[in-house]
Amino acid sequence: MVFTDNLHMLDIARIYLIEDDRTILHFLEETLKLRPHWRLVGHSDTFAHARVMAPLSNADVFLVDLGLPDGRGEDMLRTLAVTKPDAELLVFTVFGDESRLIHALQCGATGYVLKGCSSQELVDAIEQIREGGAPISPLLARMLLKQFRAPDPFGAPDASGSPVEWPELSDRESEVLKLVAQGYVNKEIAIRLGIGPATVSTHIKNLYKKLSVHTRVQVVRVAQERGLI
Amino acid sequence: MRRRSGGVARRLKGRAVPHYVWVGALLVGLMLVLHWVSRPTAEPGLVKVTTANALVPDLVGAVVKQVTLPHVLDDEESRWQKRVDYDLPWPEALSYADRAEARLGLLLPRVGTRFRVLLNGHEVAQVGWYAEADRTINTAWFPYLVNLPAGLLAERPEYNRLQVQVQGQLLERSGLWPLQIGDYDRLFVRHRLLDLWQVMGTWMMTVIALLMGVMSLMLWAALRERLFLLMAAASFAHMVRLWLSVVLEPPMSFELYFFLHRASFTLYVGFFCLLMEELFGLRVLIIRWLSYFLLVVGPLWMVWILYTQLYDFYRVWAGLLALVAATSLTIMSVQLVRHGQLKQDQFLVLLVALFTLLTGVRDFLVVQLNFPGEADIRWMSVGGLALMLTLGWVLLQRATASAREVHRLNDTLAENVARRESELRTAFEQLRLSEQQRAVEGERRRLMRDMHDGLGSQLVQTLNAVRSSNGRLETSVVESMIHHALDELRMTLDSLEPMDGDLPTILGTLRQRVAPALEAACIELRWQVQEVPPLHRLDARGVMHLFRCVQEVFANVVKHAQASRVTVRTWADGQRVYLAVEDDGVGLPPPEQRRQGRGLNNIHLRAEKLGAQVRFYPTWPGTGVEFSFPIQHPGVNPSSDWARL
Repeated sequence: MVFTDNLHMLDIARIYLIEDDRTILHFLEETLKLRPHWRLVGHSDTFAHARVMAPLSNADVFLVDLGLPDGRGEDMLRTLAVTKPDAELLVFTVFGDESRLIHALQCGATGYVLKGCSSQELVDAIEQIREGGAPISPLLARMLLKQFRAPDPFGAPDASGSPVEWPELSDRESEVLKLVAQGYVNKEIAIRLGIGPATVSTHIKNLYKKLSVHTRVQVVRVAQERGLI
Repeated sequence: MRRRSGGVARRLKGRAVPHYVWVGALLVGLMLVLHWVSRPTAEPGLVKVTTANALVPDLVGAVVKQVTLPHVLDDEESRWQKRVDYDLPWPEALSYADRAEARLGLLLPRVGTRFRVLLNGHEVAQVGWYAEADRTINTAWFPYLVNLPAGLLAERPEYNRLQVQVQGQLLERSGLWPLQIGDYDRLFVRHRLLDLWQVMGTWMMTVIALLMGVMSLMLWAALRERLFLLMAAASFAHMVRLWLSVVLEPPMSFELYFFLHRASFTLYVGFFCLLMEELFGLRVLIIRWLSYFLLVVGPLWMVWILYTQLYDFYRVWAGLLALVAATSLTIMSVQLVRHGQLKQDQFLVLLVALFTLLTGVRDFLVVQLNFPGEADIRWMSVGGLALMLTLGWVLLQRATASAREVHRLNDTLAENVARRESELRTAFEQLRLSEQQRAVEGERRRLMRDMHDGLGSQLVQTLNAVRSSNGRLETSVVESMIHHALDELRMTLDSLEPMDGDLPTILGTLRQRVAPALEAACIELRWQVQEVPPLHRLDARGVMHLFRCVQEVFANVVKHAQASRVTVRTWADGQRVYLAVEDDGVGLPPPEQRRQGRGLNNIHLRAEKLGAQVRFYPTWPGTGVEFSFPIQHPGVNPSSDWARL
């Protein structure tokens, strides 16, 4: 029973859109026609609305625009990362704004979609991430390698003043990142390392989790201090 | 700043109690103590003998005459000046019932230059009496305590005959000074006091003067200030004077001894006057000339005294010394007061000098002119000590002042350096800013050009196509054109990402853009990129050039090569980094048939701007393009160094 339930859960994506651009909403609605059993369970066009409503929804995929009119998408990600730890947080980004993307990943994003992608590309991205994959670009990989190698990646201690513990990359993760940075695609990397393509994706996803672990811990700590949880 | 505040602090402190006030009080107190110590006292059991019957023994028809003590042989006729025997009358107050019970002694505060004591015809003490005549012996500096043995005393006191026999030395004020007879134990205490005062005190002064001289000399060697040299000269002269005043038998002839002893004092006074003048910074010529007069004429005068053997000449000279010293001090005081420049330190020195002068005058009055007071206790020793300590203190002030000055200069220097450094930093900052502005400006122009040539022209093409189609244009065509425009924009934006000249990442980024086109043309992409050293020429501008080059190459492959596979490779040797794109297509047409298109030209032009060499070659089948970049080692680029500063 449990097994079929899980399958069922995987099959039906409940999507929540946080985006002030109406055309994106229309685009999403068009896209959902490709997957009729997916549901758009909520939509916020302001930060204020999203902050109240999004955590209450039962969505398992959040599409978050970083450039909201009344707040920072990163703060939204932080909130969702804590209140919806099992949900996928996809960031809408313009082409290759990797610097901001890294920050978004640190804030808890689990993937990203390029603005201007086709409907099929959006569906692919959502399916990929639900199957345990993660999108990545050579530049992003390069930046991540740099981040993980840096002695103090955040440049400053966290809010409580204790030094930041930066998780370490495993050898395999480091290899994957290096190859991505050199322009290799997942299939090629899998062949080179003698592993399955899905495993490559899993490695990347784990990387993203490691990136945001710090943020999650920090947010929880701050919330505890303020008596919120 | 620090110095000023220090000065204020000192002034405030000085206003509270200037140091000359308490030093003055100290000196007055010292004078009272001296007065109390040396007041004329009549101790019970002791009798002071101030008269004696003197005779010259070897003379035929010797004359006995009663003299008052002190009896100075230099003041007598020449026949008195070699040897005199003094018969001391037994004081009536000094009686005893049983001679065995009597413990008596004789204290000679000053006698010389050689002497012996006889009690009832038996010699009970002698110093230098039997020494050879050519030896220089002077007993006059020391107090002597002589025990009068009970066995030699007469049964009845008035029968005792006490004799002091003296051998004189001309110019040394030989003779006999008032002496004391009485209880031995009391005399012993008295003798200890005199010995401490005259002998030990003088030795201590000698050592202090030596120390001052050596220290001044070292300070002079370090600081090269005339003041320290004068201080050293004065101290050494003083030391010689003191030393010769406290040795019984100086290892030299009498003439040399006399000369050194007297001349050293003259030099001391002369150097001292110069020192004071230098210390006060007055530049008073008359004091200088007076001092030079003392320094030059003094020694000559001593030679003259030795020649004439007249002690009166020394008295004249001593008077002259006192006069010069007093005059100099007076002139300096008047000058300082008149110019209102009398600083506290100078006032202090003047005060102490005056004190020393007073002690000298007191000694002169008591010893030479028989004013009331204990002649055996000289005040001048204390006065000299006070003056020496004060001068030492002044010396210390001077030395530390120069140290303070060095510190101040250091501070000023550090301040200057810091200021200059900040100026330099500001200048560099401005330079950096303008450099930055220049770079930003260049980058802006490049972006504008790129936008204009790439995105702009693509949009214009699209717009024209839409306009000229009269609504018959297919959506897919427009979509592809806009996609193309978006790709242009993406490429421009990608070039702005910080890729640090990492060729593989740059190629990987480009791959994302060109992969769909290759896929659409059913061309397999073989990616054989490996890590190579970073290329500094691949900044944002360089990346854009490289993008365009590689884009052009791929466009050629897609359009003309009819290839099924394209391989991208990177590698490096010690000198260069290589990038090769090879296809398996039809190959380049022979040169004569080659269309002189803009494509290949553009590749060459852009490669040149990258500092890269381009080579086209056949790959049988197909064509290869190889870019080779020189490896630029870090630190070679001067502009980056400049910016880092």
